[in-house]
Amino acid sequence: MLKVKNLYKNFGNIIAVDGINFEVKRGEVFGLLGPNGAGKSTTISIISTLIPPTKGEILFEGESIFENSKNLRQKLGIVPQDIALYPTLTGYENLVFWGNLYGLKGAELKKRIKEVADIIGLNGRLKDKVEKYSGGMKRRLNIGAALLHHPELLIMDEPTVGIDPQSRSHILDTVLKLSAQGMTIIYTTHYMEEAEELCTRICIMDEGKIIASGTKQELVELVNEKTQINIKLDNISDNMLQIFKGIPGVYDATIIGDTVTLFGENGSILLAEIISKALEENTKIQSIDIQKPNLEAVFLHLTGKALRD
Amino acid sequence: MKVISIIIKDLKTVLSDKQAIITTMLMPVILMTILSMALKGSFISSDDVVVEEVKIAVVKQYDEIIDSEIFTKTLEEKLDIALTGDEVNPEEIFFEDFLGSKEVSKLINYRVEEEERAMELLAQGEISAIIILPEKYIYNMKINLLTPFRNNVNVRILTHPDRTIDGEIVASVMEAYTNTMSSIIIGKNVLIESASANDIGGEGFDNIDEVMEGMTDLVEGMNVSIENITVHGRQSIKSSDYYAVAMMTMFILFAAGQGGRMLLEEKDNQTYQRMVIADISKTHILAGKFFAIFLIASIQITIMLIYSYFALKVMWGDVSSIIVLSITSAFAVAGLGIFIASITYRAGNYRMANLFENVVIQVMALFGGSFFPLDLMPEIIQKFSFISLNGVALKSYLKIILGYNFADISSDVLILALTGILFTIAGVIIFNKEVAENAKHSKIKTA
Repeated sequence: MLKVKNLYKNFGNIIAVDGINFEVKRGEVFGLLGPNGAGKSTTISIISTLIPPTKGEILFEGESIFENSKNLRQKLGIVPQDIALYPTLTGYENLVFWGNLYGLKGAELKKRIKEVADIIGLNGRLKDKVEKYSGGMKRRLNIGAALLHHPELLIMDEPTVGIDPQSRSHILDTVLKLSAQGMTIIYTTHYMEEAEELCTRICIMDEGKIIASGTKQELVELVNEKTQINIKLDNISDNMLQIFKGIPGVYDATIIGDTVTLFGENGSILLAEIISKALEENTKIQSIDIQKPNLEAVFLHLTGKALRD
Repeated sequence: MKVISIIIKDLKTVLSDKQAIITTMLMPVILMTILSMALKGSFISSDDVVVEEVKIAVVKQYDEIIDSEIFTKTLEEKLDIALTGDEVNPEEIFFEDFLGSKEVSKLINYRVEEEERAMELLAQGEISAIIILPEKYIYNMKINLLTPFRNNVNVRILTHPDRTIDGEIVASVMEAYTNTMSSIIIGKNVLIESASANDIGGEGFDNIDEVMEGMTDLVEGMNVSIENITVHGRQSIKSSDYYAVAMMTMFILFAAGQGGRMLLEEKDNQTYQRMVIADISKTHILAGKFFAIFLIASIQITIMLIYSYFALKVMWGDVSSIIVLSITSAFAVAGLGIFIASITYRAGNYRMANLFENVVIQVMALFGGSFFPLDLMPEIIQKFSFISLNGVALKSYLKIILGYNFADISSDVLILALTGILFTIAGVIIFNKEVAENAKHSKIKTA
């Protein structure tokens, strides 16, 4: 449905997007996962035709979106990272406005607003002004405004940033529902759990580049044979990190906050060694856990830093 | 359809903002009411005042020779006194001693005209007032000045409604004249009374009892009535008229100020980007803003016209001229609003819009005569009044109230229309340039 080919975007000397390639297939939820500043939103802005790329090509249904943006724009729904709504208008007035812009009117628009309100769970609150909504309700309405015209491709840019767990859960359910209805979704996030839960395929981005892509399973396999051990210590130092890295069987180690994360083979043997080394250095262990490999581990493995860095 | 949706949305947005409603709709209504009341009676205005020299015409309705003959005859018949009246010359007193005096001639430049010609000159605006010296003026003045009798002299002053300040000047000077003349008459009568009491003057005062009857109310012997006449259907400007127009033309500028924020607000709210993705062109977005500002200004004008008509009894004059001028004024305001919106969008902050609302509107109001009538302002401010959009509109509205034809305001209407067009073109160019620059260089927010 959508092919991104060799895409670059520079802002002066800053390379925001650095030669990325990926393809989004019809009906899938495609995840763009990466930390802040990875280039996800710039990529989304280029796909949305908001800004032109420095170089590269994007094909929508086989046609360049830069040569004919109309086809894409008519079939595209966008949920921006910020709440792109009019706070002094009611939820209903906002939906009417965005529906009108997509050519909906009269009974058709009313019917569609009701359907969308059901999907986003705001049916009883549409008469209220948006400024009176909670953060989660605004996010849901933000999604609703993008659904009115039955888009074939829905781009959701960090739709769950800064909201309560209940609203977040509602939004994730909505995405799954839309996906079940056959909608193609590009979902950007820096929450590994969301990408794991929602996305059929995931691109992991960092510093403008795609550093890995595939299904969750394929990505996890990159670190599948490794064990991830997180150790919370009283006193972390570079010296301690070097000691851990020197343990035979440890591939990599990194400090995240007050925790040292190690990757290595055979977790149980490593665990004994780690405790032994900590005791030798007179460092108190507060907690220790062994994790199954996940996307966080993949990112950590590939970049040496955490997704939330 | 899409433009209409944008317009409706913008109107709803503005009308849902209570502070905006207070600033744009309520404040001017309150201010025009307060100012109209506060300055009622003391307000004078004119659109073309020459303080240095007021041109007037004096109409003589009397015949000097006949009046003098009647005077001599009357004295002979009634008082049995043979008096020619040559001792005093009321004409000389009025024209030479009074109008020709050094002080008055600095203020008033007079010419003597026939009544019909004087009315023509007043209608054409060639003169600011007519002083009409009534029939038997010479006779009555001689009676007042030379005898103990008091005859009423009713001097009329007709003033041009466009030049009420000039009219006030002429009226004040005439009042000073009548006061002086009355003092002389009183002095003369006191002298007669004293002479009578002391038996001075002999036979000439045989009928002194009759004389004394007329003495008590001598002060009222000479009246000046000032009539502000209607020339070709023109009316004079009252304080309520002036400040209804002044506040209206000033406060529609706030619609431009509000409109000036709209584009950047859309950008900041990300709704601008969302509209672009919804395939709404820049032209549609700008057109939506333009017409939204136009309608806000039109709503303001309509509210103020209706309110001032019913509450302040402002007679706005020719309806079609008012409609055309109002549409053109709103158009100019919309153009200005688009210009401010574009430079605010380009600046990326609201300083330009704030500067416009807090400084530029105030300066325009001052230079345009919205605070004080321009006639009362220093000459330098009057010279620069053309820079203010509200000043042009104010002048035209006042002309319509005064009864001028549409042809008389057509040049102002054209100026307003051109102002609107030029500002719109400038705004579109700036906005397009900025959008193009943005796409090339701007760093967008990333998650």
